[in-house]
Amino acid sequence: MHPQDHFVAARKADWQLLDVLLTQAPALHRLAPASISRAGALYRSLCSDLMRARSAGYDTELLAYLDGLAARAHNMLYGARPLSLRSLGGFVAHAFPRALRANGRFFAIATLLFVVPLVLSLVATLVHPEFAPAVLPQEALDASAESYAEGLEGRESGSDATMAGFYVYNNVGIAFRCFATGVLFGLGSMFFLVYNGVVIGTVLGWVIVQGHGTNILTFVCGHGAFELTAICIAGGAGLQMGYALVRTEGRTRLGSLRAQAPAVGTIVGGAAIMLAIAAAIEGFWSPSGVPAPVKWTVAGGLWLLVIAYLALAGRRRVP
Amino acid sequence: MVTPSTVERLDTIASVDSPEQVRFEYRVAGPARRALAYVIDLLIKAAVLIVLGGLLVVGGVKYDQLTGWSMGVYAVVAFAMEWGYNVLFESLTSGRTPGKRVLRLRVVKEGGHPIGFIDALLRNLLRAADFLPSGYALGVVVMGLDPRFRRLGDLMAGTMVVVEEHSHLGAAVRLSPPPTPQELAAMPSAARLEPAEREALDLFVRRLDRLGPARADELAGLVLPRFADRLPAAATGIPSSGSPRTGPARWLALLYLRATERRPTAPRSD
Repeated sequence: MHPQDHFVAARKADWQLLDVLLTQAPALHRLAPASISRAGALYRSLCSDLMRARSAGYDTELLAYLDGLAARAHNMLYGARPLSLRSLGGFVAHAFPRALRANGRFFAIATLLFVVPLVLSLVATLVHPEFAPAVLPQEALDASAESYAEGLEGRESGSDATMAGFYVYNNVGIAFRCFATGVLFGLGSMFFLVYNGVVIGTVLGWVIVQGHGTNILTFVCGHGAFELTAICIAGGAGLQMGYALVRTEGRTRLGSLRAQAPAVGTIVGGAAIMLAIAAAIEGFWSPSGVPAPVKWTVAGGLWLLVIAYLALAGRRRVP
Repeated sequence: MVTPSTVERLDTIASVDSPEQVRFEYRVAGPARRALAYVIDLLIKAAVLIVLGGLLVVGGVKYDQLTGWSMGVYAVVAFAMEWGYNVLFESLTSGRTPGKRVLRLRVVKEGGHPIGFIDALLRNLLRAADFLPSGYALGVVVMGLDPRFRRLGDLMAGTMVVVEEHSHLGAAVRLSPPPTPQELAAMPSAARLEPAEREALDLFVRRLDRLGPARADELAGLVLPRFADRLPAAATGIPSSGSPRTGPARWLALLYLRATERRPTAPRSD
C-alpha cells in the first residue's frame, strides 16, 4: 500500500468529523461546548496533517482537500466577536461620539462644505427667485413645490406619504455617497457635499418663494436633526479617507488608508444608525397629521438631543 | 530545488499564514463569479420589495386607502434592503450573503479571519464608490489591477472574497481506457519525478477527459522531451500524435500512474 493511502486511511475519520462540525453550524458559538473543543483539537491535528502531506508531496487533490478544510476551520475557529446588543450599546454610548470628536476637524470641514452652499443658494433663491431655475430643471422645482402645496395637518394619509419612501431612499443614498466617494482622494465627498447643499438650499428657497414655506419646514424639521447631521458626519468620514490617501505619513497610500479604517468605520457606523433613526422619523412621524406646533417642539428637542449627544456622550470623567 | 509550498504561484491564489504556522491557500474569486452572486442577491431583494409592496397595496385597497403607516413600513424596508442586506448577512453569517452562499463565496479578512460588523459596513458602503460612474465600472477596473481582485470597498476594509473549495477526498486518477498491465510494465517503476512535475502531471491526467485528443497530444508533446531524455528506454517509438491509445498524452499518463503506483481503477474511498 502506498504511504499516502495509509495516511488517508488513518486520518480520514477525523477530517470527516471536522467537516461535519463545520457544516452543522453557521457560527462556532452555536455549537455545543463539547463540539467546540473537539473542533479545536481536530483543527490542530489537521494542521499537522496538512504540513505532513505537503512535505511528503502527496497528491494535489488530497492537498486541496486538506487546504480547503483547514481554511474553513480556521475561518470559523478564529471567529470575529458576534454581534450583541451589549456591544451595540457600547458603540452608541462611547465609541461613536468619541471617534467623531477625535476626528472633529473633518466633520467641521464637511459641515462647512454642506451648510455654506446651502445657505448661499437659499438666500440667492429668496432674493432672486430666478436663481432656482438656473440651478435645477423647472419640472423638478414645480414637482417639489406641488408636493408641499398642501399641509399635512389634520390628515390621516396622503400623497406626501408616498413621497416619504422616495425621500428616505434618496436621502440615505446622499449621505452614503458623500462618504463613499471620499475614497477618491476626498474629491467625491467635497463634490457631493457642495452639490447637495446647493440642491437642498435651492429647493427649500423655491418652495418658500412659492408660499409653502411652513409646510416644507414642518415636514423636514423632525428628521432633519438626524439626517442633515448624518450627511455631514458621513461626508467628514469621506474626507478623512481622502486625507489619509493624500497625507500618508510615510506609509504606502493603501496602508495609510487602512490605518484609518477603524475610526472611519466607527464614525460611518454611527452615521448609519442616525440615518436609520432619520428614516423611521421620516417614514412615520414627518408625514403624519400631528399639529405643526407639536412637530416644531419635538424637532427642537431632537436637535438639542443630537447636539448634546455628539458633544457630551462618552466623555471620560476628569479626576 | 524549490518545493511547491515555497513558490509564490502566479495564480488567483492567496496564501495566509495561520497561528499554527501552517499556510493555507485560498482561491480568490474573480469578477464574473462575484457578479453572479450579486445578481442573485439583487433578485432576492427585489422579490422581497415586490411581495411587500403587493401586500401593502392589497391591504390598502381593502381598507380603501394607503396609510402613512404602510408607506413608512415600505420606506424603512427599502432602506434596509438597499443598505442593510449585505452588511447584516455578511456580518451575521460570517461573510456570506445568500447569493455568495449559492456560488460558494465567502468574504474573509486578509488573514483568513471572518469579517466583523465594521468591516462589512465599510466594504458595502464603499459600493457607492465602486459603482461609479455606473454599473460598478470603477470597481471592476480596481479589481483588475489588484492580484486579489479587491474592489475599493475590500481595500478599505482589508477584506477579500474567496471561493470555498469543497473538494472530495479520495477521487482517484482515472484513465480511459484503463491501462493494461503490459502498458504499465513497459514503464519504469521508479521514475524520479520532482514535486512540481508530479503536480503538473497529476493536473494534466485529471483534465485528459476534458481535452480533445489532438490538443492533449499537442500539450503532452511540449513536455515530452523533458521526460524522454531521462527515460530513453521507455520513450522509444512514441508517435508524435496518434490514437488516444498510443499518443504522447497516453504515455505521460502511464508514466505518472506507474511512478505513483496508484491503481487508477481503485474504487472511490468515500
